[in-house]
Amino acid sequence: MIDRRTQKYDRQLRLWHAHGQSALENANVCLLNGSAVGTEILKNLILPAIGSFTVVDGKAVEVADLGNNFFLTQECLGQSRAKCVTQLLNELNEEVEGKFLEEDPTVLIEANPSYFQQYSLIIASQLPTSSLLRLADICWETNIPLVIVRTYGLFGYARIAVREHHIVETHPDQIVDLRLDCPFPVLRDMVQGYDISQLDSMAYGHIPYIILLLMCLEEWKSVHDGKLPLTSTERSQFKDLIRSKQREDVGENQNFEEALAAAYRAWTPTKIPSHIQDILQDSAADNITEHTPTFWVIARAVRDFVTNEGGGYLPLAGTVPDMHADTESYVKLQTIYRTKAREDCAAVKERVKSILVSSGRSQDAVSEEEIERFCKNAAYLKVIRYRSLKEEYEQCTLTGKKIGNWLSDPDDNIVFYVLVRAADLFYERMQRYPGAGIENVDEDISPMRQCVSELLAQWDRPDAAVSDDLILEIVRAGASELHTIAALQGGIVSQEIIKLLTRQYVPLNNTVVFNGIKSGASVYAL
Amino acid sequence: MSENMPVQSNGGVADLEGRWRDIYTYLERPGPLANDGFEPGDQVKEFLHTLKILVIGAGGLGCELLKDLALMGFTDIHVIDMDTIDISNLNRQFLFRASDVGKPKAEVAANFVMKRVPGVKITPYFGKIQDKDEEYYNQFTIIICGLDSVEARRWINATVITMFDEEDPETFKPIIDGGTEGFKGQSRIILPRMSACYECSLDMQTKPTTYPMCTIANTPRLPEHCIEWASVLEWAKEFPDKKLDGDDPEHIKWLLDKASARAKEFNITGVTYTLTQGVVKNIIPAIASTNAIVAASCANEAFKIATNCATAMNNYMMYVGDQGVYTYTFELQKKEDCPVCGGKAIKVEINPAHTLEDLMDLLMDRKDIQLKKPSLRTGTKSLYMRAPRMLEEATRPNLGKQIRELMEDGEEVTVTDETLPISIQMTVRFTE
Ligand SMILES: [Zn+2]
Repeated sequence: MIDRRTQKYDRQLRLWHAHGQSALENANVCLLNGSAVGTEILKNLILPAIGSFTVVDGKAVEVADLGNNFFLTQECLGQSRAKCVTQLLNELNEEVEGKFLEEDPTVLIEANPSYFQQYSLIIASQLPTSSLLRLADICWETNIPLVIVRTYGLFGYARIAVREHHIVETHPDQIVDLRLDCPFPVLRDMVQGYDISQLDSMAYGHIPYIILLLMCLEEWKSVHDGKLPLTSTERSQFKDLIRSKQREDVGENQNFEEALAAAYRAWTPTKIPSHIQDILQDSAADNITEHTPTFWVIARAVRDFVTNEGGGYLPLAGTVPDMHADTESYVKLQTIYRTKAREDCAAVKERVKSILVSSGRSQDAVSEEEIERFCKNAAYLKVIRYRSLKEEYEQCTLTGKKIGNWLSDPDDNIVFYVLVRAADLFYERMQRYPGAGIENVDEDISPMRQCVSELLAQWDRPDAAVSDDLILEIVRAGASELHTIAALQGGIVSQEIIKLLTRQYVPLNNTVVFNGIKSGASVYAL
Repeated sequence: MSENMPVQSNGGVADLEGRWRDIYTYLERPGPLANDGFEPGDQVKEFLHTLKILVIGAGGLGCELLKDLALMGFTDIHVIDMDTIDISNLNRQFLFRASDVGKPKAEVAANFVMKRVPGVKITPYFGKIQDKDEEYYNQFTIIICGLDSVEARRWINATVITMFDEEDPETFKPIIDGGTEGFKGQSRIILPRMSACYECSLDMQTKPTTYPMCTIANTPRLPEHCIEWASVLEWAKEFPDKKLDGDDPEHIKWLLDKASARAKEFNITGVTYTLTQGVVKNIIPAIASTNAIVAASCANEAFKIATNCATAMNNYMMYVGDQGVYTYTFELQKKEDCPVCGGKAIKVEINPAHTLEDLMDLLMDRKDIQLKKPSLRTGTKSLYMRAPRMLEEATRPNLGKQIRELMEDGEEVTVTDETLPISIQMTVRFTE
């Protein structure tokens, strides 16, 4: 039977499974500012049962907070926002522990940088530039993932900064690893032992297409000096060869249709994709110490496997797609692939153990399941090394070069990032945002234009243009925090955080800008 | 119908002056990106606070939508949902608690949001959308759908579009529709007869996975094949009079045992309780974050349409979050011969020597209209009608007759089907 927790989390376990769930449940996140977007992010993390959270906020609840923050009530007016939002967020899931700290995040960042070390991830919402840069440095130095989020009128952006994020389970649409051009001995023997002339028409119509392709390819290679069909003429000849095997007495041809549709898999040579080669050869896997992340320990083992037992190939994934076939041939084929995958993985496991021991760790320091997942997904791994916020803000010419290029398209959403940054500059000078808290909005237009020009000049792109309409529109927005944009950005950011914490699926690199007028998001590597 | 309560601009709660500061920032100021006809000031605020908006569905999207709309200043919200709360809803439907399991979603959700956001009135209806008539739907300015069923979407789409009378602008109701699946989702705006409707894009729908019957019966290869065998064939054999209930753990357990035994017999691995339930109920993964994105996008469009404070999206956004963040926003094109909003008859070509039954099969195979049990009549006679029984019996012999015996080349035929609340006009062209 099935327990209550599995029932409750059923719809998400189907996406990230029990090990993703336990990664989530072991995470401890910190939110700076219990703003509308901040509480929306936490809501979407508490519901799927993140381990625990802390809200840091020094503000008292104002009446305008009640207009955009769902985790506040009228009774909260004048009380600590950190305390109030934590109380109401805690009602969402009894399994999640929420704490709060009544302190201004900007003060905390200056006064107590080591405070942040206790967390698995920091969420900085609506933080002014100077504090943000300081926080980003702290997180970067201590290797804590930082997620920055801003909402601004009908617009918003979010940014991830992590030194390195590696993913084993990127969840591609399907994992295909058939080795048709280089069948391993057991597979080759099976195909050679397959006497199709003896099959009755029923069995003939159910030969798995993988077998058909392997047979045809062996035949092709035997008369083409062992070469694969390369030119388009050869490829259509190869398809003719497949067709020539069809038998007239067999009514159904579905397996042949599948073989023809998958023929390209036969002439595509099996090789290690270059981005996977890069990961295996990465210097992080060179000198394994007791502090090396397990990802790199396994990567090193796979690197060594490839040059030794693997004979130049990755460990076999071991999955066989469904195809038209009778049960027996299909299961037999599946068993052959699975057995070989298990053997490859066993070899990798041995290598992992000896690497662990020689780097001073217990030989069980990496779980078998983790190695198995790595082997299965070896062709789909991903490593992202983010650009730090410091680099983005300080290497102005490089940042400006990118932004200037994107700005040359007047419809590109990057302009809203530029405008929010310009509004931040405005804030640094005036201690208020353009168009916020004043009656006569027009007063702010000219100083805001000035901020945009200065920012573009800082980026060495004084030539780049920002339309005046958009400057007017951002002044009109007056730094308002609309609930829909908070909820939308909160959704995007929480989804990214789940991907970061579970180390499954691929998080964005590194900034996403949302335009709530046209309704669309764009991603930039800033 | 209940009388409208007088609603003040602050949402009915006098001591919360300033609550809507962030929304009013937009509504009090003109802007170059505002929609044509936007008039900043008190009137637009008043309109936002008094108009009626309908949310269909109080599930993953619905819970989010009610919160989003209430916090965007909508004050008169109605919600329809026919479901009760299940434990598997709690990982995302954040207005529900474990103690609410078994209660009607619409009522619990409405009460929660009303308690949390002072001054908002949410009127729940625990029942089916089909229970309500035109007069009911006509009271709303905007209709938002957070549904997980194609059937319900088709019904509401056809109902709202057919309701629109060009002589009476009050009958024009924009529909905003959202949907999610795992890390992916979409939101769209349907302006009756102005932009593509749900029916126009029916062929974009991904159909649930089905397995050929011969595979299930004779050559199973996947654990899913064994589960289908147990649920489709064995269940009906064992319990001819009992309907299979995917939410009944006893039923799932029975299927699991049957499927496991078959899997063992064929050396197939991977039959589990989770997979069994997933296959039987056609479960689609769902998480809070994706619902939040899609619902917020729908509510954001509702706010812009209601106030004109900025132009609305044109007209479809896809969100894909599994590999980075990707959105694609585009204008979905209206189909000239859409059976719901096109006004033109759909064309069907058939060899007149074929039978009426062949024509029926042709209609049911068409992805763009997806009929289940069509009934057909010409302007003068019934060709085949499924109900009442007497008429069915009287028209059944026509199924075997040749098309040329029943109609002229180019004749218009009216098609009705239980999947649609309206009829479709079809022109039948003969091929020789
Ligand atoms: Zn249409």
